[in-house]
Amino acid sequence: MVIDVHYHPAFIKEVCPDEETAEVRRNDMAYYKTPRCALEQIEQRLSASGVDRCFLLPHDYSGCGGDAMKNEDIKKLVDLGKGRFYGFASIDPGAEDALEKLEYAFAELGLSGLKLHPCRQRFYPNEERMFPIYELCERYDKPIIFHSGFTWQPDSPAKYGHPLLFEEVAMKYPKLRMCLAHMGFPWVKDTAMLLLKYPNLYADTGVLFFDCAREFYEHIFTKEIGIGWLDRSIRHQVMFGSNMPRFEQMRMLTALKNLGLREETVELITERNALEFLGEEERSWLG
Amino acid sequence: MVRLDSFVIHTTKYNDYINITEKVKGLVEGSGIKDGVAFVITAHTTTAVTVNEDLECLQSDMKDMMWRLVPEDHPYAHARMLHSYGTTAGNPTGHLRSLLTGNHAVFPVRDGKLIRGGAQEIFFCEYDGAQSRTVYVETMGE
Repeated sequence: MVIDVHYHPAFIKEVCPDEETAEVRRNDMAYYKTPRCALEQIEQRLSASGVDRCFLLPHDYSGCGGDAMKNEDIKKLVDLGKGRFYGFASIDPGAEDALEKLEYAFAELGLSGLKLHPCRQRFYPNEERMFPIYELCERYDKPIIFHSGFTWQPDSPAKYGHPLLFEEVAMKYPKLRMCLAHMGFPWVKDTAMLLLKYPNLYADTGVLFFDCAREFYEHIFTKEIGIGWLDRSIRHQVMFGSNMPRFEQMRMLTALKNLGLREETVELITERNALEFLGEEERSWLG
Repeated sequence: MVRLDSFVIHTTKYNDYINITEKVKGLVEGSGIKDGVAFVITAHTTTAVTVNEDLECLQSDMKDMMWRLVPEDHPYAHARMLHSYGTTAGNPTGHLRSLLTGNHAVFPVRDGKLIRGGAQEIFFCEYDGAQSRTVYVETMGE
């Protein structure tokens, strides 16, 4: 089974009902030519790409004048997907009702975790005002996926997403599972360092800013860091994520499989680590 | 008289050859045009329309030839972030296979019917699926 832990559902017709909404999202998220697409066709594309399940990562940019997806819509996609999707919640961290909304998403909607975007939502991950949100996630045993590193989105400085900003959070909340998306690019080595030390930190492979998938994955995983780093030390903490529709899911999966990793490692990255991150399987490797 | 019809195909594979002959025949026969010409045209740059015999072995060879001529792994220039899209250009093979196959097929129309050779079938060629694709059928004549 292959799980893609980084899929943006913003343009699925069932939760993007008209062209006006799509156009707002295109400009907010820099997906300028991405068409709306029915869920049935999304599922066909996933199957053709060899992906069985996805984490659906929504956005809430209402605090910075942008679009916000409804957590209820994510729940709707989870229900329509019949086991194919794990839905994450989104909140505006600065909103007065952020905690209430998040608790509702976990307790009532049964969503699987929280997605936050420090660069677009303009917060530093180690700010004290974020701590109650982290504590709520810890209380519900729900993981957080943070955008980290450079982002293509407009009005989103990379400085808010530097991987080192997550270290104090990892120290303060050792039971809170957090994913630094995009390997924290371009600070990939910093991300690897954090994963090495903090077993509650994860990263995903949603990184393809230069070249084709094969070339860029080779660069990231054999030159930026050693292939052995991934194959030995942090193989339980890296998850396959495509960042669709920004990147090329099928080619990234092929590139990952052709890196020369041991088969067992590929299986961890494409399936097992995602289930452990969700809390669905025990993290037995910690022993 | 000129009549333009279209239909949508939801492809299910990365690369695929889909026989659309019956669909095209139906549109031409329903066009009201007795004598003329029909064009079958794809609306996309990573798909194609071609004519060949519908044999599983031939479609296998067609795919094999395309993958030899345009291999998946090659240092293509169309492999970078595109500002106008906000996404990566990751489908050079689709564009180049489309280029080699062509965007249309043409047939005579006589007595209101599409004229084809005995082995001629019309294929929609998907080179970057699975996606929703549009095909135009323009029938011209009297």
